[in-house]
Amino acid sequence: MKRRLYIELENCIGCRACLAACTQCGGHEQRNRNYVYDINPFVDTQTMPLMCLHCEDPPCARSCPAQAIQIHESGAVLSAMAEKCIGCQNCTIACPYGIPKFDEEQNLMYKCDLCIDRTQYDIPPMCASVCPSNTLQWLTEEEIENKQRRHDLDNGKWVASMPPLENETNVKINLPGILQGTEKLF
Amino acid sequence: MTEQNKPYEEDNYTHNIHRNRERTLDRRGFMKTMVGAAGVFAVSSLPWGGVAARELWNFADDEDERQKIANVTDVPVGESFDFTYPTEHDSALLIRLAENDYVAYQNACTHLQCPVFWEKESWEMICPCHHGYFSAETGEPTGGPPRRPLPEIELQVQDGTIYAVKVKRYEA
Repeated sequence: MKRRLYIELENCIGCRACLAACTQCGGHEQRNRNYVYDINPFVDTQTMPLMCLHCEDPPCARSCPAQAIQIHESGAVLSAMAEKCIGCQNCTIACPYGIPKFDEEQNLMYKCDLCIDRTQYDIPPMCASVCPSNTLQWLTEEEIENKQRRHDLDNGKWVASMPPLENETNVKINLPGILQGTEKLF
Repeated sequence: MTEQNKPYEEDNYTHNIHRNRERTLDRRGFMKTMVGAAGVFAVSSLPWGGVAARELWNFADDEDERQKIANVTDVPVGESFDFTYPTEHDSALLIRLAENDYVAYQNACTHLQCPVFWEKESWEMICPCHHGYFSAETGEPTGGPPRRPLPEIELQVQDGTIYAVKVKRYEA
């Protein structure tokens, strides 16, 4: 059963458990690979997590001159292969979401790989499995469709990655109502 | 992601970003291909090596067939006689230099294969195309473009008949 990461941004309570989980994840060496933004600092407490959206046509991978960023068959865009990455940071510039991070010491790019060592065996990615407010969810296509349908009924203005943010992505996002000027009804 | 739902037509192996294709054209795969091709070429050249070894170490005692050329009475001293040897496509030239001195050469000029003929007056073999000259005694070129001698044919004279026995191996 193919599952996708689904981000329900409005649920985020800013606990940063996802960051902590990512930091502790195996092979990440104390570096987290996602972000929690304060949307409107000094005004309200709204926060949003953002990790790699795993584009169908990833600019980071296409811009890599060494083919160090690879696409897994599940659609996940993997972190740079250590033996191929030449540290040119093209991917960092190319990504419209500013996702790939660069480690100056190792001269190596690293980014969210959707916990491919877990998700390829259908175990939810670390961030989703620890999220206490269901902001990050690991859902089947069917469940995502049901959610979208429900929200469409309740609120005509609701969109989930539709129209696509920058291009088609494997991670689906439910934009928070505060960005759309509407309130989501549960 | 499948290949079908890509937003553009591109199957570009120089941009090999799909992990399933990681091994299709990487450096190691390329080296394997090169070494494999070298191996194929090496193996396929073995028959030629066999042919060369056969020739060089005389494994082949493929004597040319003994063939009657002419009767002694047909060729006066100083005259020549055309024949073909060892096959009907290899034209050759027999010359009687003295009473008991016969020489024969395959008469395709070693420059560009024009037929060489015997010029009794100058006592030389001449290629008319580019004025190549060959010594009748040895077959060596004495002038003109050719640089290699004419292939010599060994002869036997028995009972008033001249036979061609074999074409001498070319020694560089």
